[in-house]
Amino acid sequence: MSTLNDQDRENLVAYLDGELGEEAAQALEAKLNVDPTARAEVEALRQTWGMLDYLPRPAPSTTFTTRTMDRLSVERLSVRTGKMPVAARTRWLSYVGWAAAVLVAAAGGFGLANLIWPAAKNHVERDEILVKHLGVVEKLGQYQNVDDIAFLQALADPDLFGEEES
Amino acid sequence: MGMEAALVRGSMHVALLGETSTQMALRDPDIRLMLRVRDDDNVAFAELVELYNHRLITVMHHLVGNAEEAEDLAQEAFLRVYRSRKRYHPRAKFSTWLFTIANNLALNTLRSRKRKPSVPLNLRDSGPLGPRPAEQLVQDRGKQPMQKMQQQELAALVREALETLNERQRVAVVLNKFEDMNYAEIAEVMDLSTKAVKSLLSRARDNLRLALKEYIYMDGEPLR
Repeated sequence: MSTLNDQDRENLVAYLDGELGEEAAQALEAKLNVDPTARAEVEALRQTWGMLDYLPRPAPSTTFTTRTMDRLSVERLSVRTGKMPVAARTRWLSYVGWAAAVLVAAAGGFGLANLIWPAAKNHVERDEILVKHLGVVEKLGQYQNVDDIAFLQALADPDLFGEEES
Repeated sequence: MGMEAALVRGSMHVALLGETSTQMALRDPDIRLMLRVRDDDNVAFAELVELYNHRLITVMHHLVGNAEEAEDLAQEAFLRVYRSRKRYHPRAKFSTWLFTIANNLALNTLRSRKRKPSVPLNLRDSGPLGPRPAEQLVQDRGKQPMQKMQQQELAALVREALETLNERQRVAVVLNKFEDMNYAEIAEVMDLSTKAVKSLLSRARDNLRLALKEYIYMDGEPLR
């Protein structure tokens, strides 16, 4: 069982890195001297750190500096001529492309909707017809009880119910 | 914002030391080079690229885990140095300034990668060829002592362990290990306090220890 507390554990790495103040380092060393479990923790941390040396340190490609200087020349040239560098131009073109695509999609959607629901296009014309025949519309409920126009005309015949009394 | 704070801290540090930029430039040849870059000297810029490309690519590689992307990011970092040359004032070591730019770039890349995660292959989808080498290694780890493992296999394991760290822990570890930066320098690059760096590195290294504990040997026995 280790005698190290949380603060000691946080200090262990700083101790290994030589970043711990003298007083704190001495206090930690005193604990390590009498605690083999704590010493094992230090050793584990030290070995783990050492294992990072197995990671490769990839060398830059031989053309790295030349390519960087070429890109710089292109940028400087674009600044002088007022032209955008290729990357910026591509990015700008992609924004324009997206905006155009949204517009085309909106226009297409509108056209398609008109094609599918043509009545919607003629709603003004439809309203005008309804206003023109408002009288019929208002009495539509009554007219629906009538079978045909001949029946209505027969109802209007004065002989059917006799003359009105004056 | 982060870089500005770091620069302010840097200038306070210089002011405390009573050191002028001329004195710093005289002491640090990289600062002298950067001052020439500030005066539009392209030869000096090429020299800086040549001097730092290996270090910068190494750091980027360990942060993003991909050699090609590391070169692209390193190139972009150098170009950002050039673009901001007129605003350069020697307040700290040139490398601190360079790695502050590199850190911001790498963190942006890692965060955008997190927003658009690639779908990892399932280890069980190995097909008729059977398990991959790393998978085989995990299965065999009880049988093979660390000393016998191939360097490449160990590198893959350490790489995996590094990837278990969060972005900030990884940056701190890589700068500490591969750039040999002290806590104050890491704090400046990452725009943190030295105390925060100490705590960050402590957690990071403990996480690494846990991830690699199967491969750590104590008196010839694997650590338990």
